[in-house]
Amino acid sequence: MYPQPVERLVTELGRLPGIGSRTAQRLAFHILRASDEEAAALADSIREVKDRVGECERCFNLADRPLCPICEDPRRDDSVICVVEEPSDVLPMERTHEYRGRYHVLGGALSPIDGVDVDDLHIAELYARIAEAQSSVSEVVLATNPTTTGEATALHLAAALRERSPDVAVTRLASGLPVGADLEYADEVTLGKAFAGRRAL
Amino acid sequence: MVGVPAPLKTQGIVLRSLRYAEADRILHLYTPDLGRVGAIAKGVRKPRSRFGGRLEPFFHLHLLLHRGRGELMTVTGAETVAGHPALRQDAGALDAAARACDAVARLFETSEPHPQVFWLLANELGLLDREPGRAGHANALAFRLKLLVAAGIAPQLSGCASCGDAEHLIGFSGAAGGVVCAACEASGFALERDAHAFMADSLGRPLAEAPDAPERALRQAERAIIETAEHHAHVRLRPALAA
Ligand SMILES: [Zn+2]
Ligand SMILES: [Zn+2]
Repeated sequence: MYPQPVERLVTELGRLPGIGSRTAQRLAFHILRASDEEAAALADSIREVKDRVGECERCFNLADRPLCPICEDPRRDDSVICVVEEPSDVLPMERTHEYRGRYHVLGGALSPIDGVDVDDLHIAELYARIAEAQSSVSEVVLATNPTTTGEATALHLAAALRERSPDVAVTRLASGLPVGADLEYADEVTLGKAFAGRRAL
Repeated sequence: MVGVPAPLKTQGIVLRSLRYAEADRILHLYTPDLGRVGAIAKGVRKPRSRFGGRLEPFFHLHLLLHRGRGELMTVTGAETVAGHPALRQDAGALDAAARACDAVARLFETSEPHPQVFWLLANELGLLDREPGRAGHANALAFRLKLLVAAGIAPQLSGCASCGDAEHLIGFSGAAGGVVCAACEASGFALERDAHAFMADSLGRPLAEAPDAPERALRQAERAIIETAEHHAHVRLRPALAA
């Protein structure tokens, strides 16, 4: 119906989450009407994000340099590490303005039945960070999702940390978060309360 | 009301729950009358979802399901029968529950109804919730043996599965479908007396009273279970216990 390049753009946009074919068409026509500069800026930003953004060497958050902005920030509190499943869980925690420590991104949640074992996540790296000679970590906040796999991950980490680093307090977000929900959809008030009310494990 | 089919009311246990699209989940459910059912639950990953946390794995529910155009049904209502909160606080029980659900999903993957499988799974999850410490190799194997019975492929344990001899039962053969005698043992592997006794006792007693056995015997019993499922249901069961 449309020239092939337009069809291609509609197809590619339609692959994005939450974008149906109608919306994909609207977006494609918007891009067609946009100035060359605007369209090029969008295309370049997509290319750049794929070329330059990788994982932070220390915490596995998104980074366009060896370390992510949070790991590089000298004002952050080194004594607390907040453990989350995905990089997309960092932003909601940041929006609460309750947390000033560092992060550690696991890259998922334990689910042996789906083939996700301890070795598939950045768990060994977490233990290594805490065990480092100059480490001043005194608390690890387990902020995995309040789902079955997220809870299983928190239980596993809590037991392992009790054994490896008995001097480090291990806490879990308070249960204000509804079971089954994703952290990334939690509003900052609820998440802030959950953080403030975290309990020792 | 033409063209709007009534919702299906059924009990169900959530075997697995997979993230889907923006905020949805695809559920693998096991039901008494519809066997295994795939269903989509919309918006459940949003904190204000009306389903709350009820659609997580291991929840036993009263469900309302709508049949749509596709293969998946849509969950339109869910009430908790049992949420198993204690099980969720114990890493071993959580893992045992996941493996029990996986065994059910593998052995009973169609819509053919097996109500006894549903109730067996409900019992196992209830037991793990009441006594999370029960999670272990013996409990997991007793559960799997009962699944084999429900699948109609119970191993023959009272006499040689090849020649019928009731004496000198010293091996097990998945191909023959049970224990084998000394003369027929070439077709199987060694199954010692305590492993044989464990299997027979497990089948003769309720799950909550399942026997225990030395680890070596349990390993032999697990091999017998895995080979039986492989030969007679063409299903590869995952290990009953984390490595
Ligand atoms: Zn970092
Ligand atoms: Zn024989």
